[in-house]
Amino acid sequence: MSEVQWRSSGLPVTEAKDIKQGSLTLDADVVIVGSGAGGAVAGYELARRGKKVVILEAGPYVPSKEFTERFPDSLETLYQDHGGQTNKSGDLLVLQGACVGGSTVVNGCVCFRTPDFILQDWQRDFGLSDLTSEEMAPYFDRVEKNLSIEDNKEHEIARHGQLIRAGANKLGWSVKPFKRNIRDCALTGHCLSGCKTERKQSMLVSYLPWATAHGARIFADTRVTEVLAEGGRARGVRAEVTGHDGAKVADMTVNAERVILAAGAVQTPLLLLKNGLANRSGQVGKNFACHPSLYVSARYPKPVHAWRGAMLGVYVDEFLHPDNGGFVLEDGGAGLVELSMTAEPGTGEPFMAFMEDAKYLAGLVTLIHDHNVGTIRWEDGRKVIDYQLANSDFPSMKRALKAAARLHLASGAEEVYVPSSDPRVIRSEADIDSAVEGLENQPQHLRMVSYHPQGSCRMGADPDASVVNSDGETHDVKGLYVADASLLPTSIIVNPQVTVYALATRIAQRMA
Amino acid sequence: MSPQQQTARRLSAAFQQGVTRRRFLKWGLVGSAGVAAAAAGGFALLRRSPLDDRPKPDWADGLSRQEYHLFDRARVALLPTVGTDLTPSDQVPVVRNVQGILGFMDAATRKDVATGLTLFDNAAVVFHGKRFVDLDEATARDYFDAWSRGNVVQRTLGTVIKQLTYTSYWRDESTWGPVEFDGPVSERWGIAYLGNAPLPDQPSDQATGEGNA
Repeated sequence: MSEVQWRSSGLPVTEAKDIKQGSLTLDADVVIVGSGAGGAVAGYELARRGKKVVILEAGPYVPSKEFTERFPDSLETLYQDHGGQTNKSGDLLVLQGACVGGSTVVNGCVCFRTPDFILQDWQRDFGLSDLTSEEMAPYFDRVEKNLSIEDNKEHEIARHGQLIRAGANKLGWSVKPFKRNIRDCALTGHCLSGCKTERKQSMLVSYLPWATAHGARIFADTRVTEVLAEGGRARGVRAEVTGHDGAKVADMTVNAERVILAAGAVQTPLLLLKNGLANRSGQVGKNFACHPSLYVSARYPKPVHAWRGAMLGVYVDEFLHPDNGGFVLEDGGAGLVELSMTAEPGTGEPFMAFMEDAKYLAGLVTLIHDHNVGTIRWEDGRKVIDYQLANSDFPSMKRALKAAARLHLASGAEEVYVPSSDPRVIRSEADIDSAVEGLENQPQHLRMVSYHPQGSCRMGADPDASVVNSDGETHDVKGLYVADASLLPTSIIVNPQVTVYALATRIAQRMA
Repeated sequence: MSPQQQTARRLSAAFQQGVTRRRFLKWGLVGSAGVAAAAAGGFALLRRSPLDDRPKPDWADGLSRQEYHLFDRARVALLPTVGTDLTPSDQVPVVRNVQGILGFMDAATRKDVATGLTLFDNAAVVFHGKRFVDLDEATARDYFDAWSRGNVVQRTLGTVIKQLTYTSYWRDESTWGPVEFDGPVSERWGIAYLGNAPLPDQPSDQATGEGNA
């Protein structure tokens, strides 16, 4: 095995500007499509076992030092479709990182193990009998240790979190500090713009540099266009390297006996569909879920400055289990642009008065256990995220919204703003039902965001009803694996990054 | 159903008669997320506006003349600052920032947006006898409010124009001081870079015999 070459900062990445020839051919043991949570972890775990690994990332390499801490700029440089990826009707923004490190660069650092009841669902409904809590525990232990995942300390619970925690205690609701993957948080509140000073333990500063220390090669600006397969076996990929001006720089072929797709729950099924691979079940692109979220803001009597301190401090898990509601409330900081987009206090003066009081605003994020009703597909050469909140999920969404309003009021808020297209303001408990029950499950009525696309290449034991097995290998094509949130057979209610890290660790280990 | 809602329904139905299979494409929720629901191809202006002959600034090469005037009217209607300490919107490059956001869209999406904006501008003739760009501020706000309670097309168009405009205002540093927004802080605070995480101390599978992580 070659010498391990760890570097204390930065990442050796080959970018489009570094490539001088029009065609490249590489040989590897494993080629990985995507450098986010699944790709980076799998890359490191395989490289450290002596495998020759090549990681291809469609997005650019943006070193931490270039992060601007300006959210709109970050959307344009670090996110998929420059922050403009939405569902078909446009009422759900689907945020995904599109850079080296993927969504781990721009997420809020929140870490949950897969809830036991979710794993039990998977065992019972999808034949994933080996994915027990006991089986998964060592993988969770490993990634939690590697990524410095710990409970928020008291100083990491910002003013907005303190308010929410007090309100939850008043209501008698279970409230806990988040676990986060962070070292010595600098409390800047700019998680969604990337952590400039490298406190967040994203893949950019952890598994990717570790993978390269063990010899893995990373190519940015490199979009895989074709998965090569022959005789039911994966053979590698073809890709295009594109400069930041949009011009193609080179064609690339990577020959490899193992191909891991880890491009995320939107891009991975699109790639399989484009190539007509691994779809005997007809399930590729189906069963998409995304935890549609609302950001429920409220005005408090004293300044909160929701942009100050750690972005995410505490969460309410009182309703986590589906029998208790199937939703989570997360205290969440926000900057001016985010606040301006979430509420509809009215047009003109009411809106500007709302924003003039921005320092008095605090917010709650609602996450629901949505059903897997969406589809990812191609239509006229363009990707389509065909997902509308299911009618069966709408009561959950309303329950979460009502609970958020109650919690805000109990926390001392004077006004709660329903994130709808028309102005709806709650000032007392008596307002909650009328403000929320009047909502309709119609496109563009609620302002929803998804940070957690998942489920579009479902894992399961039955080749006729799922795309991959519990080892992440596709049922149809030997040597072709999926190691991202596409795998998840159901939505998991909580933030999925640790689930993906753990599954990718397990997949890589079994592959090696 | 109010007369305005009835008219909106008729307008929407008429609008969709000319719509091809790509009638409803996605619309962004945030300024940078715009994509329009729209018909294929544009349609003629229902009524001329005095602004149609007024030139747009040289920098606005990514906007049509009608789009420039529409967003400038939206800026005035949506971002009133009189009587507040907020930065007047005419001191912020709002429309220029809108242009920047629209510039990130692919060509097909951008075309859809253009058609949607034309619809929004023209539909005001049905409701108010004037194009949106010619409405006074109060009427323009009423128009937005009515569309926020309207059908899907109306809610979509109203939301997209608002969020493009809001984002383009609040992203500008000159708007932050009056509301005590800190903006970027790491460099100002002199926060040290931590660099890469130390390599984990994980022996190879062979050395540990690890079979289950």
